[in-house]
Amino acid sequence: MTGLNRQTIGSQGIQHKFIYIVSWLSTLSGWLAALMIVSAVGITCQMIYVRAVLNLSTIWQTEAVVYLMISATLMGLSYVQRLRGHVNVDLIPILLSVRMRKYLYFFTLLLSIMIVLIMVVYAFEHWHLAYERNWRSDSVWGVRLWIPYLALPVGFFLLFLQLFADFLAVVVGEDTPFGLEDK
Amino acid sequence: MDPLALGAIVAVLTILTLFSGVSVAVGLLIVSGGFLLVFDGMRSLELLPEIFFGKLDSFALLSIPMFIIMGSSIASTRAGADLYEALERWLTRVPGGLVISNLGACALFAAMSGSSPATCAAIGKMGIPEMRKRGYPDGVAAGSIAAGGTLGILIPPSVTMIVYGIATETSIGRLFLAGVMPGLMLVVLFMVWSLYSTWKFGNKELLATGSYSWRERFEILPRVVPFLAIIAGVLYAMYGGVATPSETAAVGALLCLLVAMIIYRLWHPKALWVVLRDSTRESVMILFIIAAAGVFSYMLSSLFITQSIAEWIGTLEVNRWVLMIAVNIFLLIAGFFLPPVAVILMSAPILLPIITSAGFDPIWFAVVLTINMEIGLISPPVGLNLYVINGIAPDISLKTILLGSLPYVACMVIAIVLLCLFPSIATWLPDMVMGARI
Amino acid sequence: EELRLSHQWSNKDIRHQVAQMVADEVKAANVDLSIKIFGSKSLFKPREQYRPVSRGQLDMTLVPLSYAGGQQPSYNLTLMPGLVKNHDHAARLSRSLFMKEIEKKMAEDDVMVLVHGYLAGGFVGKDRCITKPADVKGLQMRAAGKSFEQMLAGAGASIASMASSEIYNAMQTGVLNGANTSSSSFVSYRIYEQAKCYTPAAEVALWFMYQPLLMNKTTFEDLDSDQQAALLAASEKAQDFYLLEAKKQDAVSAEVFREAGVEVVEMTPEDFTEWRELAKGTSYKKFAEDVPGGQALLDLALAVE
Ligand code: NA
Ligand code: NA
Repeated sequence: MTGLNRQTIGSQGIQHKFIYIVSWLSTLSGWLAALMIVSAVGITCQMIYVRAVLNLSTIWQTEAVVYLMISATLMGLSYVQRLRGHVNVDLIPILLSVRMRKYLYFFTLLLSIMIVLIMVVYAFEHWHLAYERNWRSDSVWGVRLWIPYLALPVGFFLLFLQLFADFLAVVVGEDTPFGLEDK
Repeated sequence: MDPLALGAIVAVLTILTLFSGVSVAVGLLIVSGGFLLVFDGMRSLELLPEIFFGKLDSFALLSIPMFIIMGSSIASTRAGADLYEALERWLTRVPGGLVISNLGACALFAAMSGSSPATCAAIGKMGIPEMRKRGYPDGVAAGSIAAGGTLGILIPPSVTMIVYGIATETSIGRLFLAGVMPGLMLVVLFMVWSLYSTWKFGNKELLATGSYSWRERFEILPRVVPFLAIIAGVLYAMYGGVATPSETAAVGALLCLLVAMIIYRLWHPKALWVVLRDSTRESVMILFIIAAAGVFSYMLSSLFITQSIAEWIGTLEVNRWVLMIAVNIFLLIAGFFLPPVAVILMSAPILLPIITSAGFDPIWFAVVLTINMEIGLISPPVGLNLYVINGIAPDISLKTILLGSLPYVACMVIAIVLLCLFPSIATWLPDMVMGARI
Repeated sequence: EELRLSHQWSNKDIRHQVAQMVADEVKAANVDLSIKIFGSKSLFKPREQYRPVSRGQLDMTLVPLSYAGGQQPSYNLTLMPGLVKNHDHAARLSRSLFMKEIEKKMAEDDVMVLVHGYLAGGFVGKDRCITKPADVKGLQMRAAGKSFEQMLAGAGASIASMASSEIYNAMQTGVLNGANTSSSSFVSYRIYEQAKCYTPAAEVALWFMYQPLLMNKTTFEDLDSDQQAALLAASEKAQDFYLLEAKKQDAVSAEVFREAGVEVVEMTPEDFTEWRELAKGTSYKKFAEDVPGGQALLDLALAVE
């Protein structure tokens, strides 16, 4: 497992240190994501109980669980990237020579990092606008929207770090392009 | 540029990007960002994070991680093994009883899990080694579980049905019910093939061994009770007026976690974390694709491609069944390469108007679409279930798994044909329970 | 030049027809201006349309203004119980000082109104008729809009929040006992199959929602004077049509419910007054507390005869 390798050699060189720290950050945010999903389960059950058994109003639960799920998704992005859990189709890389495969890997990674950075920049802008103008959700609960929106820039930034760490891992030879074995 | 020509260019570049080894979700973002930048200008990119967030902003989507937790918490216990063992003890007299038990267990497990890989893993972990030990051909052992696992998205609850329901604004409760009878029909078809090929290629001597006393048969029954209790609880919550279908998932997730912790003693933090990690990984993967596919469909709509394709197909004068065959072939091919949710989200906005205007029922179509997606799950290059089996039984070669699965693909094609001939297989149950639609 | 208009309705809905009318009239004026309509949420989700318009990423939208109440709290007055009595009153409100103040708020976001318009709605009950506050006590209700939720909670109902697409299922299984939303939503979601009693908007109605056709102000000002004139002329024509059709909607919905065998009852002016008194103590009060200058704005609206 590449994840384990990284941790054992985490003390060598600045690149290894970076890879190690990023993988630690990703794991942390993965924990956070899991915690958010579990709380969403709990809150939804609480809502059903309050409504069906106590026959009382449910004001904040629906919104809270939806925002928890969105935040969990965003916070989980980098963790799942670290676990290589995002489905991909490596049809073209398999057909290529090792050398060409490396070029293709760097090219697609560059594109990935670019789009993720675009998301980070505009997500930050969006979050900042919501914060500055004190936007709220238009429900009775009226949660301040910068709180759920915060997961957008943070989640994508962590994904950027993880993609960059993956790139370094291939550069220092700790991982192979697309995780494929050399022919 | 003509939107149709532009659509063709988008299609080609999307395929190239998605095959380049980049993850499906990021690939969709890259293509969407690229085309928006070129045709709508730099400012359109400002909207991407908002759209991404907005596509996830739906209460119904919440049931996806929850139905996944249901499956993976139970899968991490020995419940799956108990289930097929119980069936097996009652079916030993039937030749090939073990494969029947395994398929039955897959179907029951599918009624608790919203995703296919979880179903596959839960039953396969014990089921495959046991079948091989007892003389079943490797192909049948691997193929039956791979195919049985795909029922996870047909027999309710189902992640793909939820996504379809959201994308097309059809009732998720109705969609769930529509999957029940076709699911059972598929189980029967799978069983027929399994029995035939076991009888033909299996080790006759080994197959005959093993028999259980009545005491052993009754002894195991209590172990199936928690399982049935969960299914009953979820059904009661969903159709009994306690919660909406999307909320029910939370009840199911909580019940499964509690059953796993209390009855199956899954209380060690490390074991619990494994359950949560696996569910988080699968949920995030699916939700990331959903959001990215949403951004992709925004791009298609913004460049007026969706609208133009729908218009263009509307002008074609083709026989509705020719159209249905074409749609099936398209879905089949898309399913070979892409995970089900991506296919549904990218194609539903374009396909649904075509399907309904040709007089097909959107509920019925959801079932046909799901079976197409099931085929994709056991066919290369992205056959999630094949990889799960490969992980469970590393000494069976991918080729054997693949060849073993092929006949089950044929069963699914037969099921689609049967559904086309007798649409009520899908629509009868929902109409019965929830009343006919106008 | 091409403008892009986004809305959430099907192409049979009157709000689509209003948008289409503006587009057709502008095209007929031959001023090198066309409007491309993205209907049925095909571009943006309903609540996501205001922001792109205010930032010029989208040119026009036909949207309930209260959807943006989280960004401009004063917009919540455009979906306030009992503030509008009937369609003619709504039309007077659209021309009032109150609306001028709301338009000032829009201008802060670089947004302007092309077509004013209100649509009405009513109540359905699963087991009983809902006409006065006492009728909702102890019921699980789903309301459209937060000021309605506040008022219904004040009447002793419990509030369950869910999308209008979930009302049907929730009423069928008994999760909900009653709901309040627009006449057209009641019909399009086929709520008549699950309701025992319907209280449509009639002589008086409680639920009025302001749903204007909005445009980015800078984009409008950048058009040449012929284009601006054509757009304004088209909008004026569409506004008359909107009012006429809005009145028809309520009667049509009542007819659909009646044909489906649902009991149809009317709210009396006394019931209306009772609701309004309740609203004064709940939603109006909350609004005035939460929004700076809210009371003054509310008084302006209440002053419209
Ligand atoms: Na299932
Ligand atoms: Na596949």
